[in-house]
Amino acid sequence: MYAIGIDVGGTHTDAALLKESQVAALAKVPTDHGDLFASTRQALEEIWRHYPGDGPVRLQLSTTLSTNAVVEGRGVPTRVVAVPGPGVNLKSLGLPFTVHELQGYIDHRGREAAPLDPAELKGLRALLGTGEGEAVAVVGKFSQRNPSHEQQIAAELTQWYRGTITLGHRLSGRANFPRRMMTAFLNASVAQQQLEFAAMWRRVLEDLDIPEEDVLVLKADGGTMNLADSSERPIETILSGPAASTMGAQALTEREEGSYVIVDIGGTTTDLAVVVDGEVLYERDGAVISGYRTLVPAVLTRSVGLGGDSELHFSADGKITIGPRRAGAPLCLGGKELTPTDAVTALELADVGSRGKAVQALAERAGEFGLTWRELAERILEAFIDQLCAAVRSLYSELENMPLYTVRDVLNPPDLSPQAVVGLGAPAPVFIPRLAQALGLRYEVLPFSAGANAIGAAAAAVTLSLTLHADTELARLTIPELGCREPIERPLFFDLDKARSLAADRLKELGRARGCGEGAEIYVVEEESFQMVRGFHTVGQRHMVRTQLRPQVRRVRG
Amino acid sequence: MEKEPLVGLVFFPAFDWCISPDHPERQERLLYTRDQIQEEGLFDHPRLKEFRPRLAAPEEILRTHVVLPSLERNVTESHRIAAGGTMVAADLVVDGVVDRAFALLRPPGHHANRIVHGARGFCMINNEAIMVDHLRHRLGPDLRIAIVDTDAHHADGTQDIFYNDPGVLHISLHQDGRTLYPGTGFVSERGGPGAYGQTVNIPLPPGTGDQGMLLALEEVVLPILEEWQPDLVINAAGQDNHFSDPITNMGFSAQGYARLTELLKPDVVVLEGGYSIESALPYINVGLLLALAGLDYSRVREPGGVPVRESRDLIRQVAATCREVRELWRTRHEVDLKCVFGPGPFFERHRQIHYDTDQIFEGQRESIRLCSECPGWRLVITASTRSRTPAAAVLLPWKPCERCLGEARAQYEELLEDESFSQVVWQDPSSALQDEKSGRE
Repeated sequence: MYAIGIDVGGTHTDAALLKESQVAALAKVPTDHGDLFASTRQALEEIWRHYPGDGPVRLQLSTTLSTNAVVEGRGVPTRVVAVPGPGVNLKSLGLPFTVHELQGYIDHRGREAAPLDPAELKGLRALLGTGEGEAVAVVGKFSQRNPSHEQQIAAELTQWYRGTITLGHRLSGRANFPRRMMTAFLNASVAQQQLEFAAMWRRVLEDLDIPEEDVLVLKADGGTMNLADSSERPIETILSGPAASTMGAQALTEREEGSYVIVDIGGTTTDLAVVVDGEVLYERDGAVISGYRTLVPAVLTRSVGLGGDSELHFSADGKITIGPRRAGAPLCLGGKELTPTDAVTALELADVGSRGKAVQALAERAGEFGLTWRELAERILEAFIDQLCAAVRSLYSELENMPLYTVRDVLNPPDLSPQAVVGLGAPAPVFIPRLAQALGLRYEVLPFSAGANAIGAAAAAVTLSLTLHADTELARLTIPELGCREPIERPLFFDLDKARSLAADRLKELGRARGCGEGAEIYVVEEESFQMVRGFHTVGQRHMVRTQLRPQVRRVRG
Repeated sequence: MEKEPLVGLVFFPAFDWCISPDHPERQERLLYTRDQIQEEGLFDHPRLKEFRPRLAAPEEILRTHVVLPSLERNVTESHRIAAGGTMVAADLVVDGVVDRAFALLRPPGHHANRIVHGARGFCMINNEAIMVDHLRHRLGPDLRIAIVDTDAHHADGTQDIFYNDPGVLHISLHQDGRTLYPGTGFVSERGGPGAYGQTVNIPLPPGTGDQGMLLALEEVVLPILEEWQPDLVINAAGQDNHFSDPITNMGFSAQGYARLTELLKPDVVVLEGGYSIESALPYINVGLLLALAGLDYSRVREPGGVPVRESRDLIRQVAATCREVRELWRTRHEVDLKCVFGPGPFFERHRQIHYDTDQIFEGQRESIRLCSECPGWRLVITASTRSRTPAAAVLLPWKPCERCLGEARAQYEELLEDESFSQVVWQDPSSALQDEKSGRE
């Protein structure tokens, strides 16, 4: 079995070919921002030449298509129809879209506190028109507890609306109405483009004779989904690049368990991710892209404007700060400005381009501060390590401030602290040992520094998740991701165990329908259970179980 | 509102702690509040920042309380986290990290007296009081702090702790003590000889709603605060004055609460009671947070319920109480304290205190040294149905005068020799450590 992973990056598009768990080949082409499809296809052709054709091949794509569309605001015109009920005034949220508000309200337990107004429903036709080439997001407050209002609006819209319709509850089972609106809005606006993307790939696949089910698209949580799902929930493909690198690092590291920080040093930025006890950490609520807060499940990554090609700034007293902008190519590679890479080259820590040019430029600059070129080069390295250290520390202090809601957790807060630095990226061999020393940690520099993102894309596997919310007093259970709200037959006997096993069963069913491999395991990622007491009597129980189906991290060797 | 305030939120719902599974103070209490705040997206709001609570250290609790027979026997980790979280909230404000803070946490504390034999009114230790003493410990004893307690129940514990403390102005608005636990909080309770007039009680008739509460706020609380000029205003924000609360009879609404917060502009808000966990708390807390952050709260409404309309008679009754309290405040320095507390050298009071939550009865004799130089040292002799053998506590005020310090010291030495006490406690709030000598076990 072969797997090809392609990761479209800002500068390069990387491709990797895996044979079982061996890296068979890597390839790299420049990314063409005017025609992403063309450069992605070119990367595929490059790597395809190494594919001997003696076994089936799976193709896994990490694209920046939706990411770019979101960042550049290039989606189709999209309206948001919301059922906010009483609460925060939506106008005070600074949302980047106007919201058409309907009457009606679902309360925090998923009960209908006020129905939709049929006249307002009919009025949507005049507001939205036929929707050719447009999209609409339909979102209700607490729709994850009871999707019926969103479903009623959808039933009305499907009679005459021709554009894309996204329903908030299908995208996430998490609470957060503003994020749900944002996620649904972005999803609706980029859906058309993803459909076209999928259509183009279908033609490529025909040429290469790859069946459609063997083509998967990478998601922000480091998992994959098939082409059809990606057209329905394209928003989940945002930020798949950093997720692919993190998956690559997890696949390549020799560490089986333990906690470590992944440091991916590039030319422009350094990306940080956190692994705790062998599990990569996710964003608490969801991905934040371009300042937009979403509910998209995502690997937690933090990007720092610090890389081999970063700008250097010298204060009058010779203090050096680096970044956050890119200076361009280093002098040693024919660039115009001094960069950290030049310092590395001059000190013979790496062999990049012309050392003479680097030394000469450093010497010119060093004179101003009464230093030798070597002292200046060392100071640049120190400044780089200092800033990187500060970034790692600030990430961990951010994580350590995550709120805790139980006595047990406050007394024994989860220990996230890393035991090692796992580094990748071209400058990693120079900087990672120094960073690890400054942090007092062990380190590992991964092989295939240049292609870890593509290897991660190739090694990724399908992930699925769902949220089950059961209220035994109301005798109702809801699984928003499946759009279902159903009665609980015997509420008295519906305990947390039942909730867990039902969630697992539904997830397995969904997994079979989506063609998940057998190696996938079901994890309970979050759960809570409360007794509900009214007037000194227990009237029921409330359970929430969030389950995820995901494979063991696949190990890849050189 | 003036500038855009940043609000610090210390949220600690103690999802794994209860007094007993069916008790109003149970795991579920802040569940729906968490759901509502989360769904409204307030944890994401740029004007709101969430912080972790911390565990209060024993010496921080013992600066304020005398816990009998011992801290370990009474105070659980949950109590310590609630007290610690309240201190975190106050520190955030005084350190300038945020402009205002809300300690949205449980268990509550405002029925906890200085002497603690167990839990009363669902409270074991007094979160606000521990916070106030913590601030004075950090910033000096001259800090002037006003506590405005808007819980439906009289804040008898907080009143007890600051009864003779000139650094604290304690105002409690509550349902008339003749109709609700703990049965105190009448206008005639005005404070001890060292802080006479600085205990202000505003009892409100059952059924008082937004109009009556806001009337009392505007007619009494705000003018008194304006005159007294505190360095910090604390709101002990019990939410059981809501019209849907199951254990009280008031008529306050989420809108009323938000308006109160907007007018009062408290620096630190601390949750107290509030047991309408589904119909009131989620909406009151969203409204309160929005008001603290200076955001539009006009759309926050409880679905379903209709707030009470107060009768003209009721409003007249509230207005009369307000006039009486204003008059008492105005004339507080004109009162001849000898007529209230006797000629001295000590003022003595005897009390029976009921700990409803833990079913304990305490008998207490308190002597306050009448002193013109300082608030006076105090001696408390206390016994309870749990401890039987009496204990004695010598309490120093913040900034005692030389004479009081000397007398208190001598009294303490004398008590140590007296075998009739199971415990003798020396409490000096300005020192971190509480000396304690146990006689017999």
